[in-house]
Amino acid sequence: MKVLKKAKDNLFLIFVILAYLVIFIFKPDIGIDSVKNSGYYIKEMLLIMPVIFVLTALLDAWVPKEKILKYLGRESKSKGVVLSFVLGSVSAGPIYAAFPMCVMLYKKGASIRNLVIILSSWAVIKIPMLLNEIKFLGMKFMLVRWVLTVISILIFSWITAKVVKDEDIYNANEQPSGLTLNTDACMGCTLCCKAYPDVFEMENKKAHVKAYDGTLDNDKLAQAITSCPVKAIEYVENKPLSSISKK
Amino acid sequence: MDIFTLAVWIITAAFLAYSFFKDRKKTTQVLKMAFGMGKGMLGSLLSIIFMIGLILTVIPPEKIAKFVGEQPLFLATVVSAGFGAVTLVPAFIAFPLVGTLVNAGVSIVPSVAFLTTLTMVGIVTFPIENRAFGVKFTATRNTLSVIFAIGIALVMGVIM
Repeated sequence: MKVLKKAKDNLFLIFVILAYLVIFIFKPDIGIDSVKNSGYYIKEMLLIMPVIFVLTALLDAWVPKEKILKYLGRESKSKGVVLSFVLGSVSAGPIYAAFPMCVMLYKKGASIRNLVIILSSWAVIKIPMLLNEIKFLGMKFMLVRWVLTVISILIFSWITAKVVKDEDIYNANEQPSGLTLNTDACMGCTLCCKAYPDVFEMENKKAHVKAYDGTLDNDKLAQAITSCPVKAIEYVENKPLSSISKK
Repeated sequence: MDIFTLAVWIITAAFLAYSFFKDRKKTTQVLKMAFGMGKGMLGSLLSIIFMIGLILTVIPPEKIAKFVGEQPLFLATVVSAGFGAVTLVPAFIAFPLVGTLVNAGVSIVPSVAFLTTLTMVGIVTFPIENRAFGVKFTATRNTLSVIFAIGIALVMGVIM
């Protein structure tokens, strides 16, 4: 059963390996060329990937997001728009990590327009990525595309806010109680397991909440929650934890 | 190493040194987080890269360029945007890939459409976005993104 689940999670990887096996049996020279072609991308990736991850994590850690949150409300005008762009461009993680964070922002009163801006700029305007784009496609290409993209996001976020109203947005999982971890968002960095191994564990490259006996170490829990790069861990209790409730 | 990669390394190293000087604990956390992100993505990244390597060997970029060049520009752009929307390729593979295609002679308009929808729209992420915000929000945002991606591509074709 476990093997089956693992295979399901790595379906694409298995498919690629099979494709290579078939090619190496029937057309070995195409196989060799494919590996050579892949080698170019692997080299390019290894040159830039470590440094992009470090830079993204640094931006994520040093940009004061809590301060930014205050300006994203429904009455916010241009300041909210600019800050939404900033928030989206400096955040760590792939686009699917943006959804739970945006749900949190929405609950705290962010406007629909700002949500669209955050999601879109999260996807396209990563600052470290802009440098990468210059390298492969040129400075002029990057600048023109960047300006056009920002203008487009401005326009279509405005349209979305006109089309979609607050009552159209529902939340399937209403305020869960206790300790929850959104596995949609988790990208398997294992930081929570390191911060609080008694409560969090890894399963299939995703973190999970173990069955715990009800008593939680507030310090360790707070550390696990704040260390999560995608803010996937939530703790709801009647009596708020003093260390967490300061937001 | 070319100048841009070098620049990114130097900027990051400087930032990291400053961060380390300011707050040692936070910086260790940052490094752990970066390492974790990389480790988490490595498997899927490698399978995507080997898939691209295989596709580009069977269908060389020059052939793609020739084929795309023979199609009407608008059709080529719409189809490229569609391709970008259904596939999920991380940006640091997408840029060298689009670079290869442009250098092989694929015109800029379909390439940009592909690049923009690649990162902004995701059929794969649709269910997650839907669960978070509901159908109307998700459908509106993704549809508008595709339309504007084509718009960006067409305008870039005029400017570049």
